[in-house]
Amino acid sequence: MNLYALLFLVTGLGVIAWLTGRARAARYGAASKHRLHSLPGQHGLYVAMWTVIPALFFVIIWSIFTPNLATEAVLRDPQAFALPAFGYEREAVLNEIRARAAGSEYGFYPAAEQLAPVYLQASRFYSWIGTGIAILLAFACGAFAYTRIRADFRARTRVERTVMLALLVASLIAILTTLGIFLSLLFESLRFFAMVPITDFLFGTTWSPQVIDPADPGATLGAVPLFWGTFFIGAVIAMLVAIPFGLMSAIYLTQYAKPVVRKWMKPMLEILAGVPTVVYGYFAALTVGPAIRDFAVSLGFTYASSESALAAGLVMGVMIIPFVSSMADDSIAAVPSAMRDGSLAMGATSSETIRKVLLPAALPGVVAGVLLAVSRAIGETMIVVMAASGAANITANPFESATTVTKQIVDLLTGEAEFDSPKTLAAFALGLTLFLITFLLNIVALRVVKKYREAYD
Amino acid sequence: MTQVDFADTAETSAAPAVAPGVPKMAAQGVNVFYGEKQAIRDVSIDVNMENVTAFIGPSGCGKSTFLRTLNRMNDTVASARVEGLITLDGENIYDKTMDVVQLRARVGMVFQKPNPFPKSIYENVAYGPRIHGLARAKGDMDQIVERSLKRAGLWEEVKDRLQDSGTALSGGQQQRLCIARAIAVDPEVILMDEPCSALDPIATAKIEELIHELRGRYAIVIVTHNMQQAARVSQRTAFFHLGTLIEYGETDQIFTAPRQERTKDYITGRYG
Amino acid sequence: MTDAVGFRAPTDWKTDAMQKRIRKRYRAERRFRALGLAAVAMSAAFLIFLLAVMVGNGAAGFMRTEVALPIDFKAAPLDIDRAQLATRGADLALAGAGLQDRVATAATAAFGEKGEELIAENAWTAVRDAIKADPNLLSQRAHVWVPASSDLDAAADGGGEPAMQAEVRKLRERGALQSGFNAGFLSRADSTDPTAVGIWGAFKGSLLTMLVTLLIAFPIGVLSAVYLEEYAPKNRWTDLIEVSINNLAAVPSIIFGLLGLAVFLGTFGLPRSAPLVGGLTLALMIMPVIVIAGRNAIKAVPPSIRDAALGIGASRVQVVFHHVLPLALPGILTGTIIGMARALGETAPLLLIGMRAFIVTPPGGVFDPATVLPVQIFLWSDEVSRGFIEKTSAAIIVLLVFLLAMNALAIYLRNRFETRW
Repeated sequence: MNLYALLFLVTGLGVIAWLTGRARAARYGAASKHRLHSLPGQHGLYVAMWTVIPALFFVIIWSIFTPNLATEAVLRDPQAFALPAFGYEREAVLNEIRARAAGSEYGFYPAAEQLAPVYLQASRFYSWIGTGIAILLAFACGAFAYTRIRADFRARTRVERTVMLALLVASLIAILTTLGIFLSLLFESLRFFAMVPITDFLFGTTWSPQVIDPADPGATLGAVPLFWGTFFIGAVIAMLVAIPFGLMSAIYLTQYAKPVVRKWMKPMLEILAGVPTVVYGYFAALTVGPAIRDFAVSLGFTYASSESALAAGLVMGVMIIPFVSSMADDSIAAVPSAMRDGSLAMGATSSETIRKVLLPAALPGVVAGVLLAVSRAIGETMIVVMAASGAANITANPFESATTVTKQIVDLLTGEAEFDSPKTLAAFALGLTLFLITFLLNIVALRVVKKYREAYD
Repeated sequence: MTQVDFADTAETSAAPAVAPGVPKMAAQGVNVFYGEKQAIRDVSIDVNMENVTAFIGPSGCGKSTFLRTLNRMNDTVASARVEGLITLDGENIYDKTMDVVQLRARVGMVFQKPNPFPKSIYENVAYGPRIHGLARAKGDMDQIVERSLKRAGLWEEVKDRLQDSGTALSGGQQQRLCIARAIAVDPEVILMDEPCSALDPIATAKIEELIHELRGRYAIVIVTHNMQQAARVSQRTAFFHLGTLIEYGETDQIFTAPRQERTKDYITGRYG
Repeated sequence: MTDAVGFRAPTDWKTDAMQKRIRKRYRAERRFRALGLAAVAMSAAFLIFLLAVMVGNGAAGFMRTEVALPIDFKAAPLDIDRAQLATRGADLALAGAGLQDRVATAATAAFGEKGEELIAENAWTAVRDAIKADPNLLSQRAHVWVPASSDLDAAADGGGEPAMQAEVRKLRERGALQSGFNAGFLSRADSTDPTAVGIWGAFKGSLLTMLVTLLIAFPIGVLSAVYLEEYAPKNRWTDLIEVSINNLAAVPSIIFGLLGLAVFLGTFGLPRSAPLVGGLTLALMIMPVIVIAGRNAIKAVPPSIRDAALGIGASRVQVVFHHVLPLALPGILTGTIIGMARALGETAPLLLIGMRAFIVTPPGGVFDPATVLPVQIFLWSDEVSRGFIEKTSAAIIVLLVFLLAMNALAIYLRNRFETRW
């Protein structure tokens, strides 16, 4: 049976369970001398919960295992003994079998054509078994819950306890995700560091994953040029654009602009923040990069690249302006207005008030905002993928090309490489480094922001 | 401009800019609007040198609003609009030629809640003289800071920790620091907006004492919701109600023989 | 004025030195203000410039140039049984009858030796569709409008090579060139020929991915916000959850791609390039956004409402689900829409989980290989053929229109339902 139909069926059973549970509780309520502890609707919910949740869990787990079970069935088929025992071709045939079973008419392997019906039959078989069990489970659990309905049964408490459990589980997913990121990156990185010494990776100055010497893979997998390029583009060039522009925009919009101007300019900045990075990347590659190259050539830098660090950094900086601006806006707004009034009442001009009272008072918040902005810039991917070069240079010349960690991750993982090579695993080591650095920046920044908020609350 | 030496005990002989009897500040037919809402209706009042003038009235009666029109702090509220004539030494302070920066240096203000800047005690006091360029040399500034703190009665408590943050002081000390900060630019008028409402009784007593001492050098206007305080510190009292000035006169007269029924009701605690 | 007293004389503000100083201060004030205005203006100018470049390049992407191709079936009839044209095998039959060659020959005959280069590779399908619509064509000499090749298309827009521009002039004189709205761009999928590409395939991929994202991120985000704001005890676990969420909101998106690659594809063995995996990955990415927005919205509901409900005997769960959540809903929805807009524009993590496939048929479900709009833009931007520039920009315009609409909706919701307590 179709997965969607099954889900629909289980939901339908849930509705029926709710109705019957409610009706039964209502009858008890009418017959009993005592008042019902819980409302009939709550009893209904209790029965429905028992009907739906176990069955649903089963369906999800079963549908994860069905493809494997069906594949097993195919492999037991006599025709399958002819398949190659291991390796790429075997996987390819199995994939094609699954594709054909799903309705595809194209194919390459004759074996797949023969085995597809076997697979289809097996998966139908298991799917029917699954459906049967799911329905049985729904009925059994529903009936169990149904029999527990009494006038004094605390259905509401039970339902609420389940709700609380769901809430707790939902909030644990954030921790699970963080843990998942860290562990999966760490696991793959450890495999990488088993092949390449960690010191080669962290301190090596040559990065060229296209040519890896199997005897000494570490020789061309030194990430220092990437770290430098990331720092140069994200933390230097982009910030040189984003900090002054973002800060001054925030100051102008919060302190000077008339309400009408603010009303139009704030959404404008929000739009700037909402433009997808792939659009910025395209713009950088199409317009900004060539323009900067021409400019550099006219200055006499004949070697200038159209994939210069400046082009990527500049556009990245513009992308970050709204972010810095809104962080600065928040920090300045958090300074009590009494400070501002105090300064103005002394006869200070607005700019004196801003420069000498508001900004120093807002400084921790602004600094935290800048840290978060840096974290964002060095993790930014699409702009550098599209506008920066893949050449790993260590240079401080903004007209030359530089590459970044994120660009290399994408390049390494979108090539046609096998999964276990040092080349692909290097991407995870880069990812781990990036994660740890941004994690550090974020934690420090969030701490500062929190302390700062508390100081003025 | 001549720098003068500081001598704590000496009496001033500097003539006030205006002869006694002529009002330092005068308001005539002042109306204040916040957007559509009228907060002050047709208020006319004189503020004299060497006097403490108290504004009293139930909360929301517009006394603070009116106070803020005297140094144009209402300019910082976008929707506020002031009509009528307010003069300082006979000059209209809402005139286009009036420089609001100078005006505020001449008419200082102390706020309801102490609002020291998150800077050192020294820098808090030095802030005004520095932006107005009142000190030529480093020594000048030290002198100004010391004199202002002494006059605010805070010097003995903080002289050993001038570099500590102003926000680390107690509430009463913070408020005296704010007064020192206001004095440091040598204003002619000091406006105080309920300066003791956030303070405990002991700190309040200190501030009141300070107001006594400062009286005579400055024209002081104090807004208070505390009638005893008004009676203690002021020579003249104005009673506001619902945005209008009900009665203005000698403090003794207002508290002992109010001419208006509403003033009497308020003072005797019928409402407020 | 020298007097050895404790109080200085009032400052004389009218002296020249003072006046000069004040003028200087006002100049500094104006300068500072101008700097602020310049910063805002530059940001606005950049945005306008970016949009102008995209619209300028992309407008042509929505148009297509067509050439009137004279084709004579009367002189040389196509060898085909007309009865077949009404059946489902019509396409196959026409192709089998050598229609593609006939169209090519017709082009050479009509426009000279290089005639074939003037019409698109798939021009014959336009003739095929014309015949299916009107079988009488097969016994006539007729003009059929077929799509122009991408070189001719570029020349007709004013660019391209001089040789092509000369062809454009010639065709214009003959009245054999027209341009019209390219409806196919909105209804087709990817292709190798820029004149034949469409964004529907990628768009449908985006829709499916967003659906998965919403179904997962919204419930989890809201429940977690409720838990943290209403029930969570103040302890280290709660702190840990909070730190995780705040940090996740700032983790680079590409890291989520690595997570999806290692866990969803690697460990769970889910299919590559599928909207399901893309949706799961993006859901983890925007979940923190929804949690943070949800918490702020819940926090804004005044405690008095909770007290009132608790006071009449509601349980804590009832208080939240009957009173707090409905009041906080506009804020939560605003946050969700903003998060979804972020997911819609996201590219990097989807590249890593393989949603960069060349998808010629739109995906049918969440398990099918698919691509999404931003990735499609990225793929086209990599193409060498000049015809792809305008298509890339046109796709960007479509994407921006959707994002703008979503953000406008969020702003509308915020203004419409925002309650000041």
